[in-house]
Amino acid sequence: MPPKFFLTLFLNGLSLSALLYFMAAGLTLIFGLMRLVNLAHGAFYLLGGLVGISVIEITGSFWLGFVGAAVLMAAFGLFVDQVLLKFIRGEELPEVLLTWGLGIMLSDLAILIWGGQPTLVPKPDYLSGTLSMWGFQYPRFRLFIVVMAVIVGVALHLLLGRTRIGALVRAGVDDREMVASLGVNINAVFTGVFVFGAALAGLGGVTAGPLVGLLPGDEGRVLLLALSVIIIGGAGNLTGALVGSLFVGVMTIYSQTFFPEFALFSLFGPMALILVFRPQGLLGRKP
Amino acid sequence: MSRRTLVPLLLLLVVAMLPLAVNPFILNVFALSFAIAVLATSIDLTGGYSGLMSLGQAGIMASSAYGVGIAATRYGLGYPLQILAGLLAAIFVSLLFGVMIMRASGIQYLMVTLAQGMIVWGLSIRMYSLTGGENGIKGIERPPFLDGDIPFFYFSLGVLLLALLIKWLITRSPLGLALRGLKDSAVRLNMIGYNIAFLKFYSFVLSGALAGLAGIILVYYNRLISPPAAGFTMSGKGVLAVLLGGIGTLIGPVLGAVIITYVENFLSGYVARWPTILGLIFVLAVLFARTGIIGALEGITGRITRLVTGRERSST
Repeated sequence: MPPKFFLTLFLNGLSLSALLYFMAAGLTLIFGLMRLVNLAHGAFYLLGGLVGISVIEITGSFWLGFVGAAVLMAAFGLFVDQVLLKFIRGEELPEVLLTWGLGIMLSDLAILIWGGQPTLVPKPDYLSGTLSMWGFQYPRFRLFIVVMAVIVGVALHLLLGRTRIGALVRAGVDDREMVASLGVNINAVFTGVFVFGAALAGLGGVTAGPLVGLLPGDEGRVLLLALSVIIIGGAGNLTGALVGSLFVGVMTIYSQTFFPEFALFSLFGPMALILVFRPQGLLGRKP
Repeated sequence: MSRRTLVPLLLLLVVAMLPLAVNPFILNVFALSFAIAVLATSIDLTGGYSGLMSLGQAGIMASSAYGVGIAATRYGLGYPLQILAGLLAAIFVSLLFGVMIMRASGIQYLMVTLAQGMIVWGLSIRMYSLTGGENGIKGIERPPFLDGDIPFFYFSLGVLLLALLIKWLITRSPLGLALRGLKDSAVRLNMIGYNIAFLKFYSFVLSGALAGLAGIILVYYNRLISPPAAGFTMSGKGVLAVLLGGIGTLIGPVLGAVIITYVENFLSGYVARWPTILGLIFVLAVLFARTGIIGALEGITGRITRLVTGRERSST
């Protein structure tokens, strides 16, 4: 096995990790803060990707597609939060079931609107083709995905770590009653995080979707990977999402290549061990 | 005889007479709905009583169906051994998954069980040499004495009754009381000496065995088993049946399952977008019909009783 092949696989793993980070970052914050497993997150990813591609096709601008996907999914997230979730806030099971039903509906409606055919992102010239470096070739678009994820990751960490809003979110994850009793409108923070998570998922869809799959039905696979990222990394924790994404992304690509039939065990095994010995996840805090 | 026993018995009598009244198509829909009803019963066994709702139960159901399929087509085993293989597969998967949920609670329990269901679904696609991949396992014959719509209807009804009997016995046993305690206050239950982790594990495996029974009906009904049986939507149907019928009741999940299966088979002839409707029912049920049909019926009969007797309902 030539080392170049290993490196290519590693980079493929990294680009999957990048997509997973887009998903898991929103999912983990929503989970940590609102105690909500957003099962519509996969559908947000799918819709974001499809909407983004439509925007690119209509406007002809690659970058507008990203803005469009993020803005439209944010608006949609706001709608879901204010029109549906608001009425069952804090009830764990109904919340999960509602987002579940919503996810089933959205993915089916996506077939109605966009059809069941795979879609490709029309990309600008400077992002197509391969990049050669020291005799090693790699598709530019995959590198672009990783760079995007790094930018978003750094921005998120700064936002959460250095700003007042970030401090509110972190405090809310630790103890939302306490934050609320200090006079903060915690419901507004909830809504903000939910909207932000939806926008991130949409951005993930348009960035990495075409690489992993934007067929209705693919969102289930992406959601499974994102959930395992959270279970492994620890919920409510951005660093956990990062570590989990890297682990799950790279592991998935290597095991798919070398033992495709048992690829899911490489996910399932670590997940089971972590749940038994460290239920709060690698970087999660004890409840 | 009190109303609580009379109504289910009458209902059972009506259902048992169905083959005399309805055409084979509807009879088949009922047979299929009983598989979903057993799945819903298994979900409600833990979800309705201890509040720990498994969102991936279809994965366990499908394991049992795959067990039957593999035993039948790969090893050519006889029917009793096929069924045994199916149940053992379900119990084996439940034991594995049970260890994973021992220390989970609340929202984490939901997330882990969901991932479990998706893992079985993913494995059933990926491990194609064992499961036939996306195509699944075809050509699973029904036992000769179940060939025909009417015998199969009674077979699935029988399995449903068995599942209901097991659930009834469990919920009336000390274990059932402990499960209720788990919902009300896990901390106190722990204080009086219960091993919470083991209780969760034990009830999960019991409910997994029930889901295994559902898989047996399903696989012989379809004569094949393929990945969607383990999927997201199938688990969702089971959970929705519980929610729609009435959580924590014996009959509720069955009613819910019959309604969902009937609506699905009826509507899918007219509209192509059945999943949209399923999702919509889900959202509406969560928002507006939290107590389910049984809850609504109890509300209505309570009101009638009050009208007739002029008494206020006693607090229960």
